[in-house]
Amino acid sequence: MSSSVMGGFVGARVKRREDVRILTGTGRYIDDVQERGTLTCHFVRSTVAHARLVGMDVAAAREVEGVVAVITGEEMAALTNPLNLGAPIPNLLSPTYTALATGKVRYVGEPVALVVASDRYVAEDAAGLIEVEYETLPPVVTSEQALAEGAPLLFDDVPGNVIHTGEIEHGDIDAAFAEADHVLTDRIDQHRWGCAPMEGRGGVATFDRSTGMLTYEASTQTTHLLRLLLSGFINQPINLMRVVTSDIGGSFGLKFSIYREDVALCAAAKHLGASLKWVEDRNENLTAAGAARDESVTIEAAVKADGTLLGFRVGMVMNNGAYPIMPPAPVVTNIAGYMLPGPYRLPAYRFSSTVACTNKASYISLRGPWAVETLIRERMMDMIAREVGISPVEVRKRNLVPVTEQPVTSGAGFVMEGVTASETFDRLVEMIDLDEIRAEQERARAEGRLLGFGMGTFYEPAPGTPEFWGLIGFPFSHEPVRLRIEPDGKVTAFTTQVPHGQGHETTLAQVIADEMGVAYDDVRIVFGDTDATVFTMIGTGGSKAGMMATGGAMVAAREVRRRVLDIAAHMLEANPDDLQIQDSVISVKGAPASKVALAELAMGCYMAPGMMPQGVDLDLEATVKYDGENGGWGQGSHACWIEVDQETGRIGVTRYLVVEDCGRIINPSVVDGQVIGGVAMGLGGMLLEHSAYGDDGQYLAGTFMDYLMPSAPEVPEIEIVHLEYETTTMVGSRGVGEGGTVLAPAALLNALDDAFAQVGGKRITATPLTPTKVLGALGVIDG
Amino acid sequence: MSHREITVTVNGAVRTATVEPRRTLADFLRQDLGLTATHLGCEHGVCGACTVLLDGDTVRSCLALAVHADGHEVTTVEGIAEPGEMHPVQSALWESGAFQCGFCTPGFVMTIYGLEQDARAGRPCPRSRTEIREELSGNICRCSGYQAIVDGAEAALTAATATATTTTEGAR
Repeated sequence: MSSSVMGGFVGARVKRREDVRILTGTGRYIDDVQERGTLTCHFVRSTVAHARLVGMDVAAAREVEGVVAVITGEEMAALTNPLNLGAPIPNLLSPTYTALATGKVRYVGEPVALVVASDRYVAEDAAGLIEVEYETLPPVVTSEQALAEGAPLLFDDVPGNVIHTGEIEHGDIDAAFAEADHVLTDRIDQHRWGCAPMEGRGGVATFDRSTGMLTYEASTQTTHLLRLLLSGFINQPINLMRVVTSDIGGSFGLKFSIYREDVALCAAAKHLGASLKWVEDRNENLTAAGAARDESVTIEAAVKADGTLLGFRVGMVMNNGAYPIMPPAPVVTNIAGYMLPGPYRLPAYRFSSTVACTNKASYISLRGPWAVETLIRERMMDMIAREVGISPVEVRKRNLVPVTEQPVTSGAGFVMEGVTASETFDRLVEMIDLDEIRAEQERARAEGRLLGFGMGTFYEPAPGTPEFWGLIGFPFSHEPVRLRIEPDGKVTAFTTQVPHGQGHETTLAQVIADEMGVAYDDVRIVFGDTDATVFTMIGTGGSKAGMMATGGAMVAAREVRRRVLDIAAHMLEANPDDLQIQDSVISVKGAPASKVALAELAMGCYMAPGMMPQGVDLDLEATVKYDGENGGWGQGSHACWIEVDQETGRIGVTRYLVVEDCGRIINPSVVDGQVIGGVAMGLGGMLLEHSAYGDDGQYLAGTFMDYLMPSAPEVPEIEIVHLEYETTTMVGSRGVGEGGTVLAPAALLNALDDAFAQVGGKRITATPLTPTKVLGALGVIDG
Repeated sequence: MSHREITVTVNGAVRTATVEPRRTLADFLRQDLGLTATHLGCEHGVCGACTVLLDGDTVRSCLALAVHADGHEVTTVEGIAEPGEMHPVQSALWESGAFQCGFCTPGFVMTIYGLEQDARAGRPCPRSRTEIREELSGNICRCSGYQAIVDGAEAALTAATATATTTTEGAR
């Protein structure tokens, strides 16, 4: 498809329309839903990691004034169907479980009972009166414990605690290692860290007894998926189920899934014929909502003497926590496995993965869920550089595939095309004086200071290709958009994207305004209501908006525009090709007096179709799907400068440089915000954040005083350069939301290795990069 | 639990209510008065999303009790500009594209508003970006990486400082 002619909005730093309500406090986040008569829910949660539930006394709680109901696990099980969120996936042993725990509890924070009351204070008072009797079982906390011979089993139907194993192989891996001049090995145990959006999970479920309609207003990023799964779990006819969202206070992958709390809340609302609200508090969010990045990866690299890659042999073990939820574990290990060879030429590859269940909260998706592949690969590239005696720049240049040599088969065996990682890396290198960096490091060392420099490059499926998603087994399908010209000529577009900070109301309106030839302010974007939007499995996630939804908006606008021009051509007695739409007026190019207002045309189509031209389509509403045109890949290269305080172990990030290529930029403010926010999340995750568990499976980071979030002084000023390589797709844009979080940890870890290498420090093989570990690696303390 | 009658001036309007002594100021504002701009991100005083002004000082309304505000003045995001308009702090943050999901935004707006009031009054306020980052360290934003928030805060404080200087010079 040819590139479109753009008006003035796409590419402009248009101020976000969302910000008006955000800044004035008039948003509608889930706890702002304060409808009359709504009852408040509170979940009683397990205080132990692994135990048999032998008794629960809820009598006193039921007597508390203001308490409407206390629902136990067994009672809830009678209202719901068993939950299973991964059943159709081959080779996945996804155990079935109940909405509230029955029989056993398997992590600290697991919901065991639901209190419904007039007020949150009352609900929590009553919850405090509930006595739960546990017969504790040996906790299984780490993957090693889960996979050990004779380990306690979490589920009777999951032998060996193994939920899934997978294998990817491409090329002759044994030959690659046979001919290698160097074989290097590395291992990283990545710690568990969380999404921690500023607004936690929550919802308001309202059952209308007169109609049988259940409406769930929720803080979710996937309305249709939530509706589909919920209706099945609670036996609600899907056509009597509606999911709605308004403003969402961040997600980062957390709100992609459907949770037991959603199921319990909706089932209870239906059971009680009431409106129920649940908004989790921060302790619940940190303890029970789940976390991510709990993986161990080993890598062996076969390399020629000059640093050319011959093969990678990789093993990944993922700690899934207790209950598999969406996205199912194999999606994460598969994306990691297929992306791990990165944008490099890699003749041979073998990747095997094992997913283990443990007594932790569930593994959830987190911004760039596959990121561990970039972490271990980019560290390996630096290791190779050191081994063969070349620079981290040179090792990458020798292995990257320039865009001019594409399409090529990726190291994992699918077609890689339009990947500009090599180009972003070249641009990054132009901006860096590596010799000067080394000289500065020497000068600093002479003063007793320790500086580190790290870099990395990557590419990501944003949105990728159908071939790629077919390998993963994930329904990354077409993106639908519904668009109509209203009788007054204004435009309303309906998207199944569910924005939670990405500014879709602004960027999609920019695109549509340009395509339709109307004012930006005349375009409204409707989202988050399953009664209004078109079904798709995925809402916002995987950087899907930037290219897929934008494409949907373009296709829809072009279809309606074509109809408008066909109608106008008759009215103006002109050829449609000779017409233009500017400022909502259709006119003949070069003869501006021959014109009709879009509002006039639209009013005619709606109110007096018989008086309008016949034989043309007068329907000014179109529903389209955009297939992504074989997609595209986001890519970037990062450089990170750090200073390590050898007395305190603090790592200060002193400079951070990003060269990003997401193709055509729709709104620079939005794109830069995504990049900077992503890098901050990646750095925070590696340096500060830790969803830590004790040996007994107790959760150790239940407040923001234990789970440390980066604040403004911890995040450096981030410099960004954009390449804007435009692919041949109609949109020309690619996703940009996840790359910062994927690549920043790798650049940071390489910088730390670089610092340690100067003073003979040990390599850190288990994250997070805490001061204690830094001092241990430097030999300041035992460690 | 016993209740107490309190009278609080909220955004210039006198409000009287009967509350439990344990009721937080945040819950009083959000649930009893329907002023939902003040958000609860952690409820243990770390994230700053619930920041409001109490007699002109920034406080965390999740850690304060409603009874603490009895006889005092509270200002929330709803109260710093006329309906349909933006305060210069809000405008500056809008210009800089400061926020993404917006949940933390009211807390940041009130923190920066507090600094801006200092600047306007000629009181010490942060000047450099490093100082601004330190002042904002009590508010957590998960989305933005802070840079654009610092941009907006810097612009608002620079403008307010200029106003203060002009006023002072005018007074001479």
